[in-house]
Amino acid sequence: MKNYIIVLFSFLSFSLFAQEKDSTVVFKKRVLEAVEVDFLMSYYNQDGIHSAVSGGKGMEELTDITPTIVVAIPMNDDDVLTVDAGISAYSSASSGNINPFDSATPSPWQASSGASAQDVLSTISLTYSHSSDDRNTIWNAHFSGSVEYDYSSIGFGGGLTKLFNDKNTEVGISANVYLDTWSPIYPKELQDFVDYGNSTNGGIFNYYTITGNTDYNPSGFSFHENKNRNSYALSLSFSQVLNKKMQLSVFVDFLQQQGLLSTPYQRIYFADVADSFINEFQLADDIEQLPDTRFKIPIGARFNYYLNEKFVLRTYYRFYSDDWGISSHTASIELPYKITDRFTVFPMYRYYTQVESKYFAPYEAHLSTEEFYTSDYDLSTFDAHQYGLGVSYTDIFTGAHVWKFGIKNIDLRYNHYSRSDGLEADIVSFGIKFILDK
Amino acid sequence: MRLNNQIMKKFSILVLILFALQSCSSVKEYEKEKINDPDMKLAARSTERFETNFQVYREAAAGANGGKTGGGCGCN
Repeated sequence: MKNYIIVLFSFLSFSLFAQEKDSTVVFKKRVLEAVEVDFLMSYYNQDGIHSAVSGGKGMEELTDITPTIVVAIPMNDDDVLTVDAGISAYSSASSGNINPFDSATPSPWQASSGASAQDVLSTISLTYSHSSDDRNTIWNAHFSGSVEYDYSSIGFGGGLTKLFNDKNTEVGISANVYLDTWSPIYPKELQDFVDYGNSTNGGIFNYYTITGNTDYNPSGFSFHENKNRNSYALSLSFSQVLNKKMQLSVFVDFLQQQGLLSTPYQRIYFADVADSFINEFQLADDIEQLPDTRFKIPIGARFNYYLNEKFVLRTYYRFYSDDWGISSHTASIELPYKITDRFTVFPMYRYYTQVESKYFAPYEAHLSTEEFYTSDYDLSTFDAHQYGLGVSYTDIFTGAHVWKFGIKNIDLRYNHYSRSDGLEADIVSFGIKFILDK
Repeated sequence: MRLNNQIMKKFSILVLILFALQSCSSVKEYEKEKINDPDMKLAARSTERFETNFQVYREAAAGANGGKTGGGCGCN
C-alpha cells in the first residue's frame, strides 16, 4: 500500500507544479471583506433499546443542546482568522447507568440521576488561512482543543490548496493530529470490586443483595493503563467544475488511531459466565476490549447540478472501510427549491448501511475466552434512514440589520433518523450569519 | 491489508480519471453565475455539522466529507 501512496503523491506533486500559471491577472480582492459571525444551535434527542453502557441492552435516551459561535476575522487582504467555539450540553440515561446504584431499584430501563448522566463538552478551534496574491494558493494552520468530564483533546494541523485551470480545478492536502486523553470512569460494580481488594466486601455490595449467581467474581477486569488516544489523519481533496452547471469533488482520508480505542464504561456480559444481579440490573462481567490500533479509509464524493432557476441537485456518496472489519456506504440527496430569490426550501434524504465489526456481538453472546469484544450497537450491522426539511434565507446584500450586523443567511432544518436496530433520533438545527458593517 | 490494497488500487484509478477530467472544460469566471449559487457549494451547510457530529457517534464511519476526520471526541 505504501507504494500506492508514494505513486499518488508523486503524481499529485507533478500535476500541481506542472500546471501553467493562471494567465488571468485580476485585481486583488480581499479574501474576506468584513467580519462574519455565525450563531449556530442544535437540539438533538434520541432513544433506543441497545445501550452499550449496559452491555447492549437498555435505554439509550439522550438529549443534547449545542450553542456555537463562529467568527471569521479578516486580518489583512490575504489572511483570515476563524475562531469556532461551542459547548455540547447533554443528558444521557445510559451514561447515567455507569452507576445505576443511586436508586433503590437499579434497572437498565430507567434513567439514573448519577453524576455521569449529564456532562458538558466545550470545544474551541482556531484556524489561520493565507491566500496568495493570485488566489490560486491557500494554506492554513489550525489548533483545536476540547474538554469534558472524562475526555480531553488537543489537535493541530495544516493544509494546502492549489487552484488552477482558471480556478476550475482545485486540489488540496491536509494533515491533522489529535492527542486525546481519557480520564476513565468504570462501571460502578467493577470499580468497587477492584477498590475493595477484588471482593464484594465493600462499596455498593454493602447496600445491596446480589441475586442470581451470588458468587460475583469479575476477576478478568482491570483498569486501563494506557489512557491516551492519538489520531493521525491525512486528507486529500479534488474539485472540478465540469461545465457551467455541474461540479464535483472527491475526498479521501487516511486515518490511523492508536491507544485506548475502547470506551471504559461499556459493559460486557459473557455467555459462559453465570449472571449476577442487583435488583434487575445485571452486574458486568467485564468492559469492552478493542485493539489499540485502527486504520480507516473513507472515500467520498459530492456532485452538484444546477437543474434550472428553481432547482439545484446536491448529492453525496461515501464508501468507508477499516481494519476492524467494518465497511459502510453512505448516500444522500438534497433538492433545494428557490421559492423566491431569498428563500429556499430543501428536502433531504440520507441512507446509511454498515457491516459490523468482527469484534461485535450482541448482549451475552461473547465468550470470556475471546481477546476482543464489544456489544456497542454503533459497531453492529444496521441500515439507517434520515429524512428532513430545511428552509434557508439568503441575502448577499445584507438588507436586514441587527445593530451593526447585516443578516446574510438564516438556516433552519429538521431531520428524523431511524436505525434498523430500533434507535430513533430527531435533530433541529438553526444558524444565522451576520456581516459586520464597515 | 489486502482490502486496503484493493481500495488503494481503485483510488489510484479514480485519481487518474479525475486528473483527466480537468482538461475537459474551462469555465471562465464570468460564466460561473450558476456554479457560484450558494446551493451549489461543494461542502456541507454550516448547520449540517450537528448532524454529522451525531452520525460520527451513532455510526462507525467518519470522514471524507471535507470536515472532521475523527479524533477529538470519545466517538467511534
